[in-house]
Amino acid sequence: MLEDVGFVDVQIGPAADTFGGATGEEKARAYEVYGYAFLARNPG
Amino acid sequence: MPEDLLVDPETLREQVRDKYREVAVDPHRSFHFHTGRQLAARLGYEPRAVDALPDRAVESFAGVGNPFSLRRLEPGERVVDVGSGAGFDSFIAAGQVGESGHVVGVDMTPEMLTKSRATAEALGFDHVEFRDGLAESLPVEDGWADAVISNGVINLCADKQAVFTDIRRVLKPGGSLQFADIANGRPVPPEALRDIDLWTG
Repeated sequence: MLEDVGFVDVQIGPAADTFGGATGEEKARAYEVYGYAFLARNPG
Repeated sequence: MPEDLLVDPETLREQVRDKYREVAVDPHRSFHFHTGRQLAARLGYEPRAVDALPDRAVESFAGVGNPFSLRRLEPGERVVDVGSGAGFDSFIAAGQVGESGHVVGVDMTPEMLTKSRATAEALGFDHVEFRDGLAESLPVEDGWADAVISNGVINLCADKQAVFTDIRRVLKPGGSLQFADIANGRPVPPEALRDIDLWTG
């Protein structure tokens, strides 16, 4: 979707276990939900 | 509601406001996600930057990743924080851009805005401000920002394409979008995608 709206040079960082140990962990594990950092550039 | 959206945007906003109002006013109760300093450490924020902030700037932090992990902001940059909450990422950004830079946090939850503005005043941060607004229609002029940050917010917006389009509008040519958000490795059933209660809980 980032590229669909015109962003370029998209990077994605490693997965972070955002919900590990939280009460939402079970639901997060069911769908393999993790947090990620994204970086993209608005073309000049 | 537009046919291509899974849930009604305004109904979802109301639920998000309800959830994050609680995070603003009662941050130490139990949520389905981590909050505060424990979460910041889990997500790899620089300890020195977090330790320098008072509890009120950190306790309502409820992000899902570290938007500064792939790119550190440069001194003097203008930054927009989409869904700034109680201001944690805005204050981290303020430290990176310094007093020659400027940070505009945008949020739609009144209790979060009240808290972030009071914290900015207490910290004496004149280069940080917080504005009432939506991610789909940011109260920022065209081409103002060198960087846009966000953390755990875009997944809570019904129309993500509208959000990314407006972020492009406020970014300068060559500007950076650096955000953190959740993604699922296994497909979520279609009926669950249309269950609005699952979006915030």
